[in-house]
Amino acid sequence: MIRRLLERRRYMREHRWTHAHLSEYLNEDLSADERERVEDHVSICPHCRRVLRTLRRTVESLVDLRAEGRPGLAEGVIERLRRGY
Amino acid sequence: MSAPIPKSDETQLVQRSQAGDRLAFEELVRRHADRLYAVVLRFVADADEAEEVTQEAFLRAWRSIDRFEFRSRFFTWLYRIGINEAKRRAERRPPPGMVASIEDAPIEDAPDWSEVPEFRAQQAHLRRVLEDAVRALPIEYRAPLILRDVEGLSTQEAAEVMELREAAFKSRLHRARLAVRRAVDRYYLEGER
Repeated sequence: MIRRLLERRRYMREHRWTHAHLSEYLNEDLSADERERVEDHVSICPHCRRVLRTLRRTVESLVDLRAEGRPGLAEGVIERLRRGY
Repeated sequence: MSAPIPKSDETQLVQRSQAGDRLAFEELVRRHADRLYAVVLRFVADADEAEEVTQEAFLRAWRSIDRFEFRSRFFTWLYRIGINEAKRRAERRPPPGMVASIEDAPIEDAPDWSEVPEFRAQQAHLRRVLEDAVRALPIEYRAPLILRDVEGLSTQEAAEVMELREAAFKSRLHRARLAVRRAVDRYYLEGER
């Protein structure tokens, strides 16, 4: 009983820690030990596994939102600067 | 993505600008105007206002270029000026009806859409979901996400623009990503119903 409680507490601690570090995991900002910690938890937690997969997909897609510039924008800025020099 | 600008070349242009060389500064405008415009577009009402903010940011940069001390890349300093100008304008607008909050807790019964083959932001409806989710973020969360994930700055560069320590920057970025991810969860969940 006590062992089960301790295991549960450890699981929840790892769950919170992993959830808070998923972006750093995706950015490869974690140390080797920390990466392993995330991977260990994700391997047994379907919730964190789903969040990690969908978070990765989200981040990969955000780059597609890059906007183009506006034709003639730089020259317009320069023209305005020249009026104010 | 455009090729990275050689640092030394850019340093020379900034130094010449600090000495009053207008042509050097105009070259900096040509190099950075489009990306600055794309960044500020995410913080203002429309494309016309984004152009005004871009112009204003370069005017401010020219007037204060002698205060640039090469502690960061020129463009991070410039982006900071642009984002601050966009924030000033946002504060002058009437507040939106909804209080901006950030909801990042996962939706428990949402499907795992990570393997959906057609998932790409180019698809008009998903792009719209992502655009709306990004725009709904409070500015202090939106900016890290735009700079890091949309514009592709490094964590260090983006944190410099925001004048945040990296740990604080990473925390905001993570919450912003989770909030956007949650919006896609909601989209797929509604699609299933």
